Amino acid sequence: MKFNKLHIALILTAGLSMSACKDSSFLDVPSQEIVEEGDKDQVYTPESFVNSVYGMFTDWNYSFSYVAITDMLSDNADKGSSPTDPGGDKQEIDNLAYTSSSGSFGALWSHWYKAIGRATQSIALTESTEIADAAYKNRLIGEAKFLRALNYFYLVRGWGDVPIQDQDLIIRAPKADVYAYIIKDLKEAIEVLPLKSAYESKDLGRATKGAAQALLSKVYLYNQNWNEAYTLAKEVINSGQYGLESKYEVLWRASSENGTESIFEFQARGEAIAHGVQQYSEVQGARGVTGWGWGFNTPSQNLLNAFNAEQDNIRRDATIIFRGETLWDGRVVGTGVENPMYNEKAYSSANAGAGDGDKNVRYLRLGEVYLILAEAANEMGNTAEATTALNTIRTRVKLPNTTATNQTDLRKAIWKERRLELAFEHDRWFDLVRTKQAPEAMKADGKTFQEKHYLFPIPYEQLTQTPDMVKNPGY
Amino acid sequence: MRKLFTLLLLPAFCHINVSVYAQSGKVITGKITAKSSNAVLSGVTISVKGTNVATQSDANGEFKIAADPNQVLIFRYIGYDGKEVTIGQQNNVIVNLAEQNTALDEIVVIGYGTAKKADLTGAISRVTAGDIVKQPALNAVQSVQGKIAGVNIIANEAPGSAPTVIIRGLGTASGGREPLYIVDGFPVDNITNINSADIVSMDVLKDASSASIYGLRAANGVILVTTKQGKAGRAQITYDGYVGAKGILNRVKMADANEYVTHFNENQAVVAKDGIPLALNQKNNTDWFKELLQTGIVTNNVVSVSGGSDAVDYFFSYNNFTEKGITDGSRYVRNTIRNNNTYKFFDNKLKLSQTLNVSFSNDRTKPLSAFDAAYRQSPLVPVQYENGRYGRPIYNKTTGEATYILGAGQAGGKLNDTGNPVYENKMQEQYNKNLSIQGGLQAEYQIFSDLKFTSRLGVTKFFSQNRGFNDIKDRYLNEDPLRTSAEFEELKAKNPKSLTYANNSLNLAKTETFRWAWENFLSYQKRFGKHNLDATLGTSREKVEIGNMSDLTGYDVPNKSQYWNIDLASLNYDKTVIQTSYTPTALVSYFARAQYNYDSKYYLTATVRRDGSSKFKASGEFFDIFPSFGAGWTVSNESFMQGSGIDFLKVRANWGKLGNQKIPLNVSQVLSSPGSANYNYVFGPEQDLVLGVAYGSPARNLRWEVTEETGLGLDFTLLSNRLSGNVDYYNKTNTNAILEVKPLLNSPFSQKYFDHGGKISNQGVEIGLNWTDQINENLSYSIGGNYSYNKNTLKEVKPAYDGAIGGSLNNGQITKQLKKGQPLYAWYMLESDGVWQTEAEIADGVATTGAKPGYLKYKDQNGDGVIDDNDKVFHGSYLPSSTFGLNLSVNYKKWDFTAQGYGVAGNKIYNGLKGTRVNGGENITKETFDNRWTGAGTSNTHPGAAHDALASSYYLESGAYFRINNLTLGYTIPKLYNSTSKIRMYLTAQNPFMFTKYTGFSPEITGTNAGAPGETAGIELSAYPTTRNFIFGVNVSF
Repeated sequence: MKFNKLHIALILTAGLSMSACKDSSFLDVPSQEIVEEGDKDQVYTPESFVNSVYGMFTDWNYSFSYVAITDMLSDNADKGSSPTDPGGDKQEIDNLAYTSSSGSFGALWSHWYKAIGRATQSIALTESTEIADAAYKNRLIGEAKFLRALNYFYLVRGWGDVPIQDQDLIIRAPKADVYAYIIKDLKEAIEVLPLKSAYESKDLGRATKGAAQALLSKVYLYNQNWNEAYTLAKEVINSGQYGLESKYEVLWRASSENGTESIFEFQARGEAIAHGVQQYSEVQGARGVTGWGWGFNTPSQNLLNAFNAEQDNIRRDATIIFRGETLWDGRVVGTGVENPMYNEKAYSSANAGAGDGDKNVRYLRLGEVYLILAEAANEMGNTAEATTALNTIRTRVKLPNTTATNQTDLRKAIWKERRLELAFEHDRWFDLVRTKQAPEAMKADGKTFQEKHYLFPIPYEQLTQTPDMVKNPGY
Repeated sequence: MRKLFTLLLLPAFCHINVSVYAQSGKVITGKITAKSSNAVLSGVTISVKGTNVATQSDANGEFKIAADPNQVLIFRYIGYDGKEVTIGQQNNVIVNLAEQNTALDEIVVIGYGTAKKADLTGAISRVTAGDIVKQPALNAVQSVQGKIAGVNIIANEAPGSAPTVIIRGLGTASGGREPLYIVDGFPVDNITNINSADIVSMDVLKDASSASIYGLRAANGVILVTTKQGKAGRAQITYDGYVGAKGILNRVKMADANEYVTHFNENQAVVAKDGIPLALNQKNNTDWFKELLQTGIVTNNVVSVSGGSDAVDYFFSYNNFTEKGITDGSRYVRNTIRNNNTYKFFDNKLKLSQTLNVSFSNDRTKPLSAFDAAYRQSPLVPVQYENGRYGRPIYNKTTGEATYILGAGQAGGKLNDTGNPVYENKMQEQYNKNLSIQGGLQAEYQIFSDLKFTSRLGVTKFFSQNRGFNDIKDRYLNEDPLRTSAEFEELKAKNPKSLTYANNSLNLAKTETFRWAWENFLSYQKRFGKHNLDATLGTSREKVEIGNMSDLTGYDVPNKSQYWNIDLASLNYDKTVIQTSYTPTALVSYFARAQYNYDSKYYLTATVRRDGSSKFKASGEFFDIFPSFGAGWTVSNESFMQGSGIDFLKVRANWGKLGNQKIPLNVSQVLSSPGSANYNYVFGPEQDLVLGVAYGSPARNLRWEVTEETGLGLDFTLLSNRLSGNVDYYNKTNTNAILEVKPLLNSPFSQKYFDHGGKISNQGVEIGLNWTDQINENLSYSIGGNYSYNKNTLKEVKPAYDGAIGGSLNNGQITKQLKKGQPLYAWYMLESDGVWQTEAEIADGVATTGAKPGYLKYKDQNGDGVIDDNDKVFHGSYLPSSTFGLNLSVNYKKWDFTAQGYGVAGNKIYNGLKGTRVNGGENITKETFDNRWTGAGTSNTHPGAAHDALASSYYLESGAYFRINNLTLGYTIPKLYNSTSKIRMYLTAQNPFMFTKYTGFSPEITGTNAGAPGETAGIELSAYPTTRNFIFGVNVSF
């Protein structure tokens, strides 16, 4: 009897320890919703990695923070909304009183670096994956390089010297090196990207050769490399891929999305799954009883005056929603809105104040390429061609030809034209800084532009993470 | 017949005793009952003094023993005072034993076994059924609040919610802060599915040497819950029921309409260029809290049947708990059925126990944001307009009246962006149903008298279903009282694909999970003379199996709730389907424990557990070892202490290592999302969605979080066991805390990742004192108090992770920072430094952008002439340093009275309701109104009606409070129709009073994500307020 019991005890104890042998396989659980890095080929294609670089354009950062550091701080726009609603840091940005702690700068600094990261990773992945169709493979790499350059261009315009992510995260590369990096990426992209018309219909909206050329032309403009800027602008205009919309006012409406004038835009639609640039139209939508949005980023009196001084009614009315007006689609704005003016280029007819709108945000269009051409040609002394390009833009909006005849006057005329043509296309501030018009222009708008404002502040949070990174002076 | 059975079974009870009828003499029969309850006591040891003759009482409390008339019988029973009775001429001895009132004789559950409290070397505290039932709550953990030193419980009173528990300080930053719950041996996520009345006891393992038997997840402490079993004897039926009325405890008085107008106009005068003042004495003076709140009603009914025989003990209970919340329409119903049976075979050598708990809950939730909106919405806004539309914060800018009607040429304006709380509350249609089935099967086999084998298997199956309906059209119409249905239809026709103009949306989500645990262990118990040894050796495997979730959304379903089916959704809109499976988690453990004592004087405990967790898949190093040791010396059992007047004195010391692994699966991954996320994009003329993916942050080589704890303790009872107490000291360090780290802003990765990054220390003292006395037969009372002090410090942080921010207020402001030398996520913000009085003062000083007189002044800490993040400083912690509880109970004849109180001190609460997004059009409290700055010299503390929205120390308030948790008065009618039947009726006031300086609704704030330290823990924003509850109840037993 006793022996039996002992026997049982031994068997049981042995049973306890027996389970030990399969521990590691028991613990090595198969992940389900988490796709392990090693399994990426099973689930995803290199193209899906490239898609996510584009996806960054639809992030929330591209609405509230983006409009703040591209438009609101300039003389074109005011904070807007209720006087009592500072929108976080928006009031201080509008007042040029921002600091390294102003969140909008940090949001986009980080966002643009993340987009660069995704682009770099997709390039590495595509290069290391065997893809039979070499043109397709090169195209994917070209798209990513275009997108990487686009994001670096934002960074270098805003902050000057910035770290080049795949080189060092703390040391800020000189501006010239960053531009060299951008130019190299764009040149390589131009080599491999198809023309707009060469893409399959389903790929409408991807980066094209024309987009890379136009962006490179703009990059050269920022580097005062007039010849290159001129040549590329010319190539884009003569590529046969693009034309000017006959009516300026349709440029930011759904009907002209990816249309003839479009070179590159952020794609958005407003259906289930309603994927658009998050709240872009809502943040800038008219605010109040009869409104539909938050009412931020409103046209300034200074901008209105500039339109009126030029008697530029077409572009004024296409750019500005006035309180009480009836919009082109029949919507009555009503008197119950809080601000006298709103940004019409952000208005979505179908989605109004929906979180995910259908508004394609235009990044580059042929109209701007004409103005790049004009500016480059003028600087090169080619006044005639500059005048022609400028007048092409003016003619569309039924304005008389420019009266400027010498290089200096023409330069000023082109700069003014850029302001009116591209108002609320997120370019004004960088134009002001690039052309050094900022101190005077801001003074005219009642703001004080200091030397430090030529550069954005390195975000406080970045400096907490990497205390050795050099700050921008004055912050 | 039954007697015969009992006799047959007797050998089983006394097989370690010597023969019953060994000596000559007469056979004495008798019966033993408990003094207080008259319940029969089985298993009482009866021995004849001076001999080795002994027996035990049977299931009916009866016994037979042979003894001479001049001999003395000794009765001994654990938990009761012993008794000696001289036999004399009696043949039938009726004895009642008094329950011991010294806590040290309690038996506590220690994990894979039980122990006498007096024999412990660690710190274990226990709350028993009596205490749990006296503090009626959905979740029994709530009743622990204030009763155990070192256990900080933050109540959450939203219907169906669970309190947050922090044992001996917050030791981890990223997930896994909750203690481990073990119900009848099996780990569970929480005990919300358990009827409080089914619980016999909750034992809290606070220190490392006790908890390390559950090494793997014990770093936050362990709560062992034991549910009721049947007891041998005849069937007992009990009924417990109560009904209670709930109201908000601390209602903040808001400004009325005219005060609001005054405040608004003062604000506009400062900030607006074109402000037209609001008119005084307007039509509406809405008290939003009055409109939103109602008296909540809680009803609870429990019926249980229990009993047992020699072969089977059974317990069965049914419970219905229904709470009608304090906002209209909110409702929570839970039904539970429990059946715990024990089957006994082979002379009790084999016991099979089965537990089964089925819990079905039905929850209709209402938005917490309604509380926030009720605070902010203007009293000028009516609940509804005359046309039936719900009030909106809009006004006529020309007349200054809060109306939607505009005359020709008149402009409208918005007072604020807050919703209509009544409308928001009405419109949320969210229904949740949960079903949890929890069961266990345990076999215990007594191999030898001193060796037992136990095997048990426990499973939990959980189903959850959520249904949400959103009436988009109704919301559109109520945005503006002038909007018409025709306008909506027109827009819908124009934009047939736009979800903005779908009539409604319907969402259905289902989740299903399954987990199991299988444990086998041997228990060995032996006495060799004065040496006592108790040992346990075992293994455990546990797995949360692949769970799955599906989520369906459709648009334009019929409005009537009976037709809320995705099948009936319109085909004009794409239906969306999200389905995913969840990665399983698996755990493997081996454990051993030896407890030794010599003559109940010198104690040693050693425990070791080796645990493996699937979470560490990336490294493949799954295992770690968690040892612990404890030692104790019962000084009072030494001969030199005899006659010292000290009844019991014991000193304890312990050291141990504990683990924590509660992080998501740690692997490098590829990120994607099926919905509207920034991975995805649209291409093509139809803008078709294309899915994109991106790399997540590379997984770090993670190991277990290891917490080392050293503890010292002292237990004593004095003055004839009337005064008992304990003092404990602990020093606990999480040596490699896992932090959730935000990658560098300019790195390629955006996904937060986990890495070992710091050392978190908690040091503290716990003191408990209890005085119990029985004055006479009719009157007894006890007074108890406990106090604990804890110091939380982040001792070390990897330089790259130091300074991570937290405590976002969702308006761009942050309030906390993770910093070396500070408590975990300490308050970190600007220091308010008075109020700007004049423009001249602003011009001379260092002011923020747009500062005007009446704005708060901030200290320029670094003296650089600019106020920015560089001027933020630390301001203490949301974690209380002290918690304390007071308990009083008095029994007088048939009356019983208890009072309990709980308090915390040393913490600060951020009054987020007051401090966030200070929009001039949002309402303010009466107090804010009365104290505000109104011109130079009026106040240098409180800002004026216009001020900025920066987070600052101005909004930090002391979170100290003392609250009477419970006052109960009961009356018992014993012996209803027989000796064991009785009825008790009681009145309870839960939270009748609170003493606090905090000016918001409640200083007891859990925060988002179950109190994640880096989130809104300690910040009052949209929280369910503390309620006051008046209860009437009865307990009946037959």
